[in-house]
Amino acid sequence: MKKFLALVMALAMVLSLGVFANADSELAGEYDVTVWAPEAATELTEQQIADFNASNEFGITINATVEPVSEADAASNMDTDVSAGADLFFFAQDQLSRMIKDGAVTQLGQGAAAFVEANNNAAGLAAAKSGDGYFAYPLTADNGYFMYYDKSVVPEEDIDSLEAIIADCEAAGKNFSYELENAWYNAGFFFGTGCHNDWTSESDGSFTLSDDFNSDNGLIAAKGIYKLVSTDIYVNSSNADFASGSAVVVTGTWNYATIKEQLGDNFGVADLPSFEVDGESYHIGSYSGCKLLGVKPQEDAVKGAALNQLAQYLANKDCQLARFNEFGWGPSNNEALEDPAVQADPTLSALNEQGAFAVPQPNIPGNWWDIAKVITTDVKASDGSDAALQAALQKYEDSMAAADGVTLVK
Amino acid sequence: MENKRHMGLRTLNRVSNTAIYVLLIIISIVWLIPFIFIVLQSFRVESTYQVGYVIPHQWGWDNYIKLWNSDFKRWYLNTFIIALAAAVFVTVIQLCMSYTLSRFRFKLRGPLMRFMLILGMFPGMLTMIILYRVLSDLGLTQANAVPGLILVSVASSGMGYYVSKGFFDTIPKSLDEAARVDGATRAQVLYKIILPLSKPIVIYTILTAFMGPWGDYVFARYVAMGTSAGYNVAVGMYSWLTNDQIARMYTTFCAGGVIVAVPVTILFLCLQKYYVEGVTGGAVKG
Amino acid sequence: MKQYSDLEYLRLSKGQKFTYKLTSLLAAIPRGIGRFFANIGKGIKNGVVGLGSELKDIGATFAHGDWKTKTSYLVMGFGNLARGQILRGLLFLLFEVVFIVYMIFGGAHWMSMLPSLGKVGPTSEYNAVLDTYTTVYNDNSFKILLYGVLTIFFIIAFIYTWRVNVKQNKIMEQILKSGKKLKADKDDLRSMVDENFHATLLALPMTGILVFTVLPIVFMILVAFTNYDGSHNGYSNNLFTWVGLTNFNTMLSWTGGTGGGQSYSATFGEILAWTLIWAFLATFTNYFLGMGVAMMINKKGIRLKKVWRTILVMTIAIPQFISLLYVSKMFARNGLINLSLMDLGWIKQPLPFWEDATWARVTVVLINIWIGIPHLMLITTGILMNIPADLYESARIDGANAWQQYRKITLPYMLFITGPYLLTSFTGNMNNFNVIYLLTGGAPTNPAASGAAGSVGYTDLLITWLFKITTGADSQYYLASVVGIMVFVVVAFISLVVYNVLPSIKNEEDYQ
Repeated sequence: MKKFLALVMALAMVLSLGVFANADSELAGEYDVTVWAPEAATELTEQQIADFNASNEFGITINATVEPVSEADAASNMDTDVSAGADLFFFAQDQLSRMIKDGAVTQLGQGAAAFVEANNNAAGLAAAKSGDGYFAYPLTADNGYFMYYDKSVVPEEDIDSLEAIIADCEAAGKNFSYELENAWYNAGFFFGTGCHNDWTSESDGSFTLSDDFNSDNGLIAAKGIYKLVSTDIYVNSSNADFASGSAVVVTGTWNYATIKEQLGDNFGVADLPSFEVDGESYHIGSYSGCKLLGVKPQEDAVKGAALNQLAQYLANKDCQLARFNEFGWGPSNNEALEDPAVQADPTLSALNEQGAFAVPQPNIPGNWWDIAKVITTDVKASDGSDAALQAALQKYEDSMAAADGVTLVK
Repeated sequence: MENKRHMGLRTLNRVSNTAIYVLLIIISIVWLIPFIFIVLQSFRVESTYQVGYVIPHQWGWDNYIKLWNSDFKRWYLNTFIIALAAAVFVTVIQLCMSYTLSRFRFKLRGPLMRFMLILGMFPGMLTMIILYRVLSDLGLTQANAVPGLILVSVASSGMGYYVSKGFFDTIPKSLDEAARVDGATRAQVLYKIILPLSKPIVIYTILTAFMGPWGDYVFARYVAMGTSAGYNVAVGMYSWLTNDQIARMYTTFCAGGVIVAVPVTILFLCLQKYYVEGVTGGAVKG
Repeated sequence: MKQYSDLEYLRLSKGQKFTYKLTSLLAAIPRGIGRFFANIGKGIKNGVVGLGSELKDIGATFAHGDWKTKTSYLVMGFGNLARGQILRGLLFLLFEVVFIVYMIFGGAHWMSMLPSLGKVGPTSEYNAVLDTYTTVYNDNSFKILLYGVLTIFFIIAFIYTWRVNVKQNKIMEQILKSGKKLKADKDDLRSMVDENFHATLLALPMTGILVFTVLPIVFMILVAFTNYDGSHNGYSNNLFTWVGLTNFNTMLSWTGGTGGGQSYSATFGEILAWTLIWAFLATFTNYFLGMGVAMMINKKGIRLKKVWRTILVMTIAIPQFISLLYVSKMFARNGLINLSLMDLGWIKQPLPFWEDATWARVTVVLINIWIGIPHLMLITTGILMNIPADLYESARIDGANAWQQYRKITLPYMLFITGPYLLTSFTGNMNNFNVIYLLTGGAPTNPAASGAAGSVGYTDLLITWLFKITTGADSQYYLASVVGIMVFVVVAFISLVVYNVLPSIKNEEDYQ
């Protein structure tokens, strides 16, 4: 009996191999495909698709129309109408849950999932995963933030201390740009004091949140936030503000070129500083995130398979390195990360240092961002007393407990 | 005694006139400043992001060249076509509507006007998603957004009949009646008597219909749905102010603003006289 | 309350008249509501009676009619064709054919789906051979609702046309029996540019309004009774379906709500209050300042009138998305205004134009003045010039100073003429999406009101809140529809009050 089973298994494997080999040639043909890529990357993407057409072994020819749609806009377009959306699209990972909810991304097949798992770093994997399955291909792992500063205002010995930086800015009459009225940024203070905010996504699109922001550690984080937002130099922004009065900006790699131009010789970049509460020092944490490439669900299996081949090509090491060379986008591909040029990059190394304190951004539902950002608004409006800060956190917890589609466990 | 009082009045007048001049100059400055700033920044070469000064350190046409090399040409053409088509069709529709409601007394007139008043009280914002679907079923979205936007702006334009109806109301009815007595049909009354008298309101309607599409953002964005070929200037240029582009495109946005504003402004200033007559003739009646 | 006779009323002061009118209107509301329902009852009764007599007439026409009339019951326009009215006959026939074809190739299907709004959502399955997932899209709730409503419109139009067709046969028989001649096609065509010219002129505009305004509004109202939202978009994720009055319960109840702990009704109330304040301030600041500027420019002895006017009018010509976006950036914390003021040393800290609730509200009102004055200046200029000069002359002889002249002559005249304009401008400002959206986007965030239904800000109007509800991560169209209906109720109520309290609005014939 066992022998028989083994025989059947072997036979099945041979058959399936045969079928797979067959499937490859089945993909041969021409496909009309729309791609949404950020404006800067449209030309490069067209070039890479042409390379794919020339080099792929399946005989796939893609007639692509690449439209400039920023990673931030992809989801709102998909909200409007999935049927008119692009077949392949770049998007920021915080939109993954929205994309899944809209029915705008297809789950990856086993082969594609294995490809993603084998080639990407932890941040990339966390970003593309929802429940047990992968729903997108990681393209970058640089969607985190760190600190740019003006060396003429903030001396290098001060950059590890939030209090020292604030004092320097105040002395020079310069601003400190940190978009804390945005949950993507203010959550870093909580991660820095050891709070956790863990999400599990269910296959039906609902979520379970395990979270201790409303705790003693959370109170310390709120005190840290209060230190900055209660000053007059705080600016709620993550833009390249050096030309308009800021000496410190917390933002990401995407502003590197502009800031470099603004600061010239005074350009400084570092991981986030620490803040001190009751004599204890806490290094501010952050999110590390990714940009992803999604494939829209297809009615035609053959076209779907061809699109997945193209997506795997666009997400591979060479394409990621090409994007790094052109725009400085930090790769998520393990081999690309080993590249000496990537290792030598100043912003990526700052991001790397910050990486020790960063939390890979999981798949989070949209309403959390709306609720968690209010913590900063409330902290700012408070008098900074323990009771007022705790009340802001309590309100956050109550709101999350009442939020649609989220189960809160302490 | 009399003379002295006269003198006092005259000095008072002079003082108040001086005060008015000062006020008017201040107002003019406040009203013009943003536009002057936009123009100045569009010529700034040394940086493409927001800065804390107004006068460029280095002047040049760089931003305009950048504009020329982007999709802006296409967006501009799209908007121009929409504006032109809207100017023609919206004018025809609104004049039909307002002339009829001003001149004819038919059974359904009252209910019709009340019905449209009530329709106008619903927030139109909500119907955008529905209009988008209708257009998308007709194949008039994305790359075909231009005919789609024309269709929508023309189709509901009958609702905006108030101003021109107010104008027609001011033309004496005795003119029509005299012509009718002479045996003219109602259509002939319209072509031969009313239209020649209505130049201001016709030009007013054309002008407002032409200017509308240049600022249409929210619905145009829906209809274009991420297809650059279907953008109008507002949708296209708005995308330059998003976080990932503003640092590179801010001054280009200013240049685009100048290119959009200049022709519309010139046209407007040339036809200003009619616009004023149209507004004062019609708008007051609401 | 006290009722005044006409004579007593005339003796009241202006303020008393106004209060009297307002209170009597408010007192009339319960009675009005009662009458409304009584009217509905009466309407139903009349409808039933009317329907009965219509049916009777249809039956009688059939019984007494000749074979041409009888055939017309099945083949519309047959009677007209057989009696020589080719044009009318063909139009009737064409309409019937189009209707039948439409019903067979879609209409019947949409109608049958309307009660459920679709049964099978999209299904996804794994294709092991190609190692890929495929999705099959089945029913589409959105289309079912849309085309279902369209089909109902169409059916009503068909029944009406059919009835007209029957009536025409009856009339034709009567005319022929009395020995007169029927209207020829030529006469029909002529009437289109003469006695029925209004129908010709209105045909196109009204069709447009029906399809692109009425249909969407009916659809929108129906959405309030479904669960259409981001996770039930009816097509690519889940279908939506009818839920009855649930959404109204959610919206109107004082518990549960926007995630932030505050109920929807409290949030709605807060935003409504600011919307009304905003509309009031925006309307009247513009009105009086615009009038002031117009009077300054028009004052005797002021030169360069055209230049001043042109400078102001330029701002109308420049698209708002350019000027408002630019101005919004100017007032930002790190914008030009703050930086210049700090450079000048006038302020140490940047002014929180967009960060502080009160600052932001005042700033939007101020910038709205900047937007609105040119318009009002134009409108009032024309009216000011129409005020008879001898009024001022006689006032001056009576020794009235400038302020008294303004109070006694200019202002009453202006208010009388522009009453209707003020009302439309008030409701227009309530729905002034552009200014708020482009300037602040609703910011700064109102923490108490934010939560599941989009993040609510202190400068958000109902209309921008609506927009936020329908976009963003959790677009809740059903909730937006409920809010939309409530906005309608508020606007309609205000218009009703103003119409009844203000003089001069209703008598449109006065002007002709």
